[in-house]
Order: sequence, then structure tokens, then C-alpha cells
Amino acid sequence: MNILTKVAVILIPTLALSMSVSAHDPKLHGKKAEKADCSKMDHTKMDMKDPVSMAMMKKCMKQEKHATEEKAKMDHSKMDMKKEPKKEVDTIEG
Amino acid sequence: MNKIKIFIFTVVLVVVSAVTVIYSGIIDVAADEPHGDLVYWLLEQTRENSIEIAAKDIDVPNLDDAEMLLSGGMDYQFMCASCHLSPGQKESDMSIGLYPAPPNLTVSHQSHGDKNKVDENKVSREQFWVIKHGIKASGMPAWGKTHDDKRIWDMVAFIKRLPSLTAEEYQIITSTD
Ligand code: HEC
Ligand SMILES: [Cu+2]
Repeated sequence: MNILTKVAVILIPTLALSMSVSAHDPKLHGKKAEKADCSKMDHTKMDMKDPVSMAMMKKCMKQEKHATEEKAKMDHSKMDMKKEPKKEVDTIEG
Repeated sequence: MNKIKIFIFTVVLVVVSAVTVIYSGIIDVAADEPHGDLVYWLLEQTRENSIEIAAKDIDVPNLDDAEMLLSGGMDYQFMCASCHLSPGQKESDMSIGLYPAPPNLTVSHQSHGDKNKVDENKVSREQFWVIKHGIKASGMPAWGKTHDDKRIWDMVAFIKRLPSLTAEEYQIITSTD
């Protein structure tokens, strides 16, 4: 066996294995859906100017919205979607 | 005249040794048999210099952005965590079995030089390049073939914050719903 063959013998299974973790569209990732565990979010420790905190808020807000929409309890006419994360922050810190 | 003879002799010697090394099968390419120190050093230098030069003209966008973290986080969990791990995880089949081993991206970037002088821009643009183009003869795929630059920068943004994330934060940001 020459070295190229050997490299191929090692590389091809590796690549084949890694194929199972590749994807093109974020929607495809949705197949392995996992819900964000927002109950573990500790608002007191969060700095709302930090992108990490903002990302978590966004995710959990979206989830909350989903849940309530399913129960059809939300009054969208009263909601300001753009300010939503800020409001939450105010109530927590205030 | 003598110098020319020595030169020719050296060239022949180098070619013969190279051919011998290639055809004798003396080099062990098994992934469970680590490189010798010299080979390791050669490969590492080659890789680092190659990436440094290839990435030097890449402009790094602002990476402190929540949307980028969400997009990059989802992609990371789905496509990268199996090799590069997630917070609280110490090893995986891939991280143990692959050689060269995938670096654990949940711990902060190990620099060879002065820890305080890590050039974040350099780290980010080199990560972008590696994610986009992959690394030859290693398990690191070229994700640029299937993901646009924006998606890749999102992953770079996420990786930048990854070492600071707790397992809980990681779970929330990378979850699909
Ligand atoms: C099949 C395993 C595998 C997968 C999946 C994988 N990588 Fe890698 N990655 C590697 C290996 C192995 C290396 C080291 C290669 C080397 O040192 O020559 C690496 C290197 C890197 C590096 C360079 C790190 C450094 O400091 O030198 C970055 C950044 C990186 N990968 C990001 C990613 C991202 C982002 C993803 C997901 C889109 C990903 N990788 C998916 C195996 C993998
Ligand atoms: Cu993908």
C-alpha cells in the first residue's frame, strides 16, 4: 500500500463519520429539536448589554411566545414586539 | 568543481532518502500512533504559518451580536460539538480518536506567546479561514463549501464567547427551539 492509499484509508472513514454532522440549512438542524431550558436562566446574574445575555433572552422570549400562542391567551394588540426584551429587563431589575 | 560535486551528491541523497521514506512504508500513518517530535513540529509550523498567511487580509466584522450568537450556536451544536466539545464535556469519540486531535474549543484559546497579548482579531480571522477552508489530512472539514461567509462569521462569533459559557447558557443559546 502506498502512503496515499493509507491516507485515504484513514481519511475516508473520518470524513464519512463527519458527514453525519454536516448540514446546509439551519432548518435541517430543527429535526433534532431541543427546547431551550429557560428555567435555569438566572436573571440576577445577567448583564443585559452582553450579547450572550441578549441571545438567551431572545431565545427564551421566543419560546414563551410559542407556548402562549399555542394556548391562544396572548393579546397581541397590546404588545410592542420590539420593546419586549427591554420590558422584561425592567421588571426584573426594577 | 568540488562544490558542485557536493551539491549534486546532497541533492541525490535527499531525493533517495525521500523516495525510500515514501516507498518503504516506514512512516506509520495510524491515527493511534502519534507523530515523533520532529514531524509534529514540522507539521505544526507548516500549518500555523500557512493559516497565518492565508488569513492575514481577512477583515473581521463586529462579532458582539446576539443574533450571530444564536445562529452560530445552533450551527456549532449541530455540526461542531461532536469534535470540539461543549461546556462540561471533556471528551468524545471524535476528540479521542482523531489525530491530529480536534482542539477543545470550550477552553480559551491557547496561545504560544504571551497570554495577555493574544490578538483577538488575528484569532478570529484565522478561525474564520479554518472553518471555511478546513485543514488538509485532518478531520477538520471545509464548511465553506456548504455554508456562506455570514454563517461562518456567526460561528466565529459564537466560538469567541464559547469558553465563557456555562452548560446552562450553552444549552439555551444552542437549542433549536
Ligand atoms: C470530524 C471532526 C471535526 C468536526 C465535525 C469539526 N472539526 Fe474543527 N477541527 C477538527 C480537527 C481535527 C482540527 C485540528 C486540525 C489540525 O490541528 O490540524 C480542527 C480545527 C479547528 C479549528 C482551529 C482551532 C485552532 O485553534 O487551531 C477551528 C476554529 C475549528 N476546527 C472550528 C470548527 C467548527 C466551527 C466546526 C463546525 C462547523 C468544526 N470545527 C467541526 C475536527 C473537526
Ligand atoms: Cu449547517
